[in-house]
Amino acid sequence: MENELSRVVDMLPGLVWTALPDGQVDFLNQRWREYTGLGVDEACGEGWLTAVHPEDLPGLLERWRSILASGELREMEVRLRRFDGEYRWFLFRTCPLAHASGQVVKWCGMNIDIDDRRRAEEVLRAHERRFRSIVDGFPALVALRTPAGNLEYANRRYLEYFGATLEKLKRSAGGDDFHPDDLAEVLAAWREAAETGLPCDIECRHRAGGVYRWFHMHGFPLRDTDGRIVLWYLVHTDIDDRKRAEAALAEEKRLLEMVASGHSMSAILKALCQVVERTASGCYCSILLVDQSGTRLEHGAAPSLPASYINSINGRPVNVDSGPCATAAYLNQQVISVDLKMETRWAYGWRQIALAHGLRACWSTPISSTTGKVLGVFAVYYDEPRTPTRREQSLIQQITHIASIAVERAQNDAALRRSEAFLAEAQHLSSTGSYLWRAETDEITWSEETYRIFELDRTVPVTLERISTRVHPDDLPAFKEQVERARCDGSNVEFEFRLQMPNRSVKYLRVLSHSSRDESGQLEYTGAIQDMTERRLSEEALAKVRSELAHMARVTSLGALTASIAHEVNQPLSGIITNAGTCLRMLAADPPNIDGARETARRTIRDGNRASEVITRLRALFSRKSATTESVDLNEATREVMALSLRELQRNRVILRPQLADDLPLVTGDRVQLQQVILNLLLNASDAMSCVDDRPRQLVIRTERDEGDRVRLSVQDAGVGLEPQGVERLFEPFYTTKNGGMGIGLSLSRSIIESHHGHLWAAPNDGPGATFSFSIPRRSEGATGARRLGAIRTHAVATARHAMRKP
Amino acid sequence: MVVRSLVSVVDDDESVRESLPDLLREFGFAAQAFSSAEEFLASDCVCRTGCLILDVAMPGMSGPDLQCELMRRRKEIPIVFITAHGDETVRPRLLEQGAVECLFKPFSDTALCEALNAAFRVH
Repeated sequence: MENELSRVVDMLPGLVWTALPDGQVDFLNQRWREYTGLGVDEACGEGWLTAVHPEDLPGLLERWRSILASGELREMEVRLRRFDGEYRWFLFRTCPLAHASGQVVKWCGMNIDIDDRRRAEEVLRAHERRFRSIVDGFPALVALRTPAGNLEYANRRYLEYFGATLEKLKRSAGGDDFHPDDLAEVLAAWREAAETGLPCDIECRHRAGGVYRWFHMHGFPLRDTDGRIVLWYLVHTDIDDRKRAEAALAEEKRLLEMVASGHSMSAILKALCQVVERTASGCYCSILLVDQSGTRLEHGAAPSLPASYINSINGRPVNVDSGPCATAAYLNQQVISVDLKMETRWAYGWRQIALAHGLRACWSTPISSTTGKVLGVFAVYYDEPRTPTRREQSLIQQITHIASIAVERAQNDAALRRSEAFLAEAQHLSSTGSYLWRAETDEITWSEETYRIFELDRTVPVTLERISTRVHPDDLPAFKEQVERARCDGSNVEFEFRLQMPNRSVKYLRVLSHSSRDESGQLEYTGAIQDMTERRLSEEALAKVRSELAHMARVTSLGALTASIAHEVNQPLSGIITNAGTCLRMLAADPPNIDGARETARRTIRDGNRASEVITRLRALFSRKSATTESVDLNEATREVMALSLRELQRNRVILRPQLADDLPLVTGDRVQLQQVILNLLLNASDAMSCVDDRPRQLVIRTERDEGDRVRLSVQDAGVGLEPQGVERLFEPFYTTKNGGMGIGLSLSRSIIESHHGHLWAAPNDGPGATFSFSIPRRSEGATGARRLGAIRTHAVATARHAMRKP
Repeated sequence: MVVRSLVSVVDDDESVRESLPDLLREFGFAAQAFSSAEEFLASDCVCRTGCLILDVAMPGMSGPDLQCELMRRRKEIPIVFITAHGDETVRPRLLEQGAVECLFKPFSDTALCEALNAAFRVH
C-alpha cells in the first residue's frame, strides 16, 4: 500500500514534496527529481533551493519563512531550473499537516507548471504596455471612459496637461472640470452618444491648471465581439488658441465693418479699446493720435481711463520726454514700462501722474500708416506690474493694425472731403462745371456747378433732351451736330454755344472735352463747361471803355492845341487856295489849259475834304467837362490801367513786369487823366517793341518815391529806342514816328502831367529801348484839392472803373 | 530857248508839293518839289535853284536848319518861308536871318508872286 501510494505520488501531474515543520524538505517525488535532474540526497534539506531562479530566491525564502511562521496555506510563483538548465514558471502551493492540537507536523507542497500561462500573460502585458505607450505617445489628450462615464485610463499627455495622477482623476467626479455653462450641453451629448452608440463631437471648456480652456472632445466607442460598447475613447484637442483667434477674427471683422461702413473714427477707436479691455481683462486702453503738424499728441479714445488722466496727456509734444506714448510715437517703436515704480524715465512728469491714477504698467505701441508714418499710439495700462505675454502682443499688433486702417481711412476721407469742397469751390469761383458723358448709354453725370450753370434741378436725372431745352434755339443744330460727331468719332471736343434761360437771358458757354475708353472699352467724355457770360460781358464793356479812353486821349487842353488845330487846318487850306489860284490862271491862259485846270480843281475838292476831316477829327476835343481833383493811389490807378491794357499787351506778346513800390504816397490829381497818361505810355512802349523779335518784349512799369516829395512812374521798354535829336520833339503836338498816328499822345500826356505840376520825360536805356517817366508831387498835408485841372470825366470812365473792378 | 529860273519847293505836306509847282509854272518858272530838306540837299538842284520856297516845320531837318546849312555851304539862295503855324513872332526872326519873305498858309497867289518877284529882284 505504501508502495502503491508512493507510486501514485510519483506519478501525480506535478512536482510533489514534503517538508518538516522547520522547513527542511524530506521528500521529493519522482517527477520533481526528473524535472530538476537532482537526486534525493542533493535536493533534500535545503538542497532544492539550488534549482530556484536566483532572482526569485530572496522572495521565495522570505515567503517560505513567513509561511513556516504562520502555518497558513500560501501560494507563490517561482521559476525552477529544469535538468537541461532552462527555467520554467511554477506555482508553489503549500499546505500544512497539523495535529488536533493545531501543531504543524508536516508541510505538503506541490509545484504546478504554469510557464505556458505565464508566457501568455507576459505577451498580454507586453501588448498592453505597447498600447499604453502608443496612447501615451499620441499627440492628443486621450481618455478611456466606461459607458457609465467613469474614467478608466488617461494618457500621459492628458495627465501632464491637467497636472494630476490617474488615481486622482478617477476619484474626482467627471463633471466638475467642465465649465458650468457647458455642462448641460456636454451631458446631453454624452447621453446621446451612449444611446445611439455613434461617435460624439463637442466643443466645451475644461478646467486645466485653474483656468478654463476650450477643448474639442471627440469620442468613439470600442465594442466587444458581441457588439456591446465596453469603452469610449475620448480624444481631447486644445482649441483655446483657435477659439481665441476666431473670437479675435470676429472682433476684427466687426471693427473693419465699422471702418468700412463709415462709423466715426472716435467710435471705432473706442470700440478698439473696449475689445482689448474685454479680451485681456484688468487692463485699461487708450489711443492717442499724432496731430496734423506731427508734433503733438491728441486724445483719440480712452473709454475706461479717468478724464483727469486723459486731459493731462492730451496735447503733449511728441518727444522722448513727455511719456511712453510720446516716446513710442517719436521713436516709432513699442515702449514697454513693466513697473512704473521702478521706472526711471519720465520721472517728474508723466510717471507721477500715472502713479497718482493708480497705474503701474504701461505698454505703448505706435500705430503706423502703410507708408510707415506714425499716426498715433495705442496704450495698454494695468494697475499692477506686468509684462505683455505673447498672446497680448499679438492682440496689440492686431488692434494697432485695425487702428491704422481706421485712422488712415478717416484722414483720407477728410482729405477727400477737403479736396471735393475745394474743387466745388474752385468750380464755383471759375464758373466752370464738369461732366461725364457715356456716349453709348447717354448716361450723364454733372458736377454741382454744372447744374448751377444750366439752372436745372439736380434731383432729376440729366439727359440730352433736358440739356437741349436750355440750349439757345439758334445754337441747337450746331450743338446737336457736335454731340453726334463726338459720339461717332470719339475725338476731343472744343466748342462754344449759348444757353437761353427761361427768363430769356443768354449765357455764353465754352466746352472742352476729352474722350477716353472705360474698362469695357465704352467711349466716355470727361469735360469742363465754362460760363463765359460774365467774361464776355466784361470784355465787351472793356472794349467799349478802351475806345472811349482812346478817344479821350485825343482831347487836351485848348491852349496847348490852338496852334496845332490851326496847323492841321491851314495845311489843306493852303493847298485849296494854291490850287484854286492855279486853276484860275490855267483857265485864263490862251489857250486855256483845261486839263490842268480840271486837275487842280480836283485837288481843291480833295483838300477841302481833308480840311473837313481835320475839323471832324478835332471836334471831339471841344466837348469837355471840368474835372475834380482827388487823392489818387498811383499804384491802384496803374493796376487798373494794366488790367485794361493787358489783353492788348498780350496780343503784342509783351511781358509786363510791374514793380510797384509798397509805400507809395498818395498824389493829388485827376485820376482818369493820369490813367490816360499811363495808358498812353504803356501802348507806346508796346508799339515800340512790335518789331522786336530777337529779345523778350519786356515792359517794366515801376512806381517809386522821387526826390523832393514826389512820386515817379516809369515805363521801360526794350523797343527800337529814341533818335538822339528827336527826344524833345517827341512831345510836340502832332509829332509822330508812327504810321497813321496823330502824334497827339505824348504832347497831351505832357500837358496833363504839367497840369499836375509835374514833368514827363524820355531817356534811352543802357541797353535796348527807352524809358518814359513822369514825376509829380505827392499830396501835401492839408491840401484842399481845390485846384481845377483841365480834364474830362465822363460816365464812360465810371463804367470802365466799375468793369475793371469786376473779377 | 528861254531858260526859266528854277524855283524849288521843300515841304513835307504832299498837297503843297502837288499844287505849288503847277502854280509856279503858271507864273513862268521851272519848279521842283522836295519832301524834306535832306532830299533837297542831296539833289542836283541846289546850285541851279534861283529861289527856295521852304516849309518851316518838318520832321528831320527843319526849314531854318536848311537855311543855316545853305549859308554854311555858301549857297546864297533867296528863301521864301511858308508855314502853317500862324505865329506872328516867327516872321520877324526869319526875315532878320535873311529870308526874303515869310508867308502864312494859306497864302494867295498874288502874295506868292510878289514874294518871288522880290526874291529875284534881290539877285
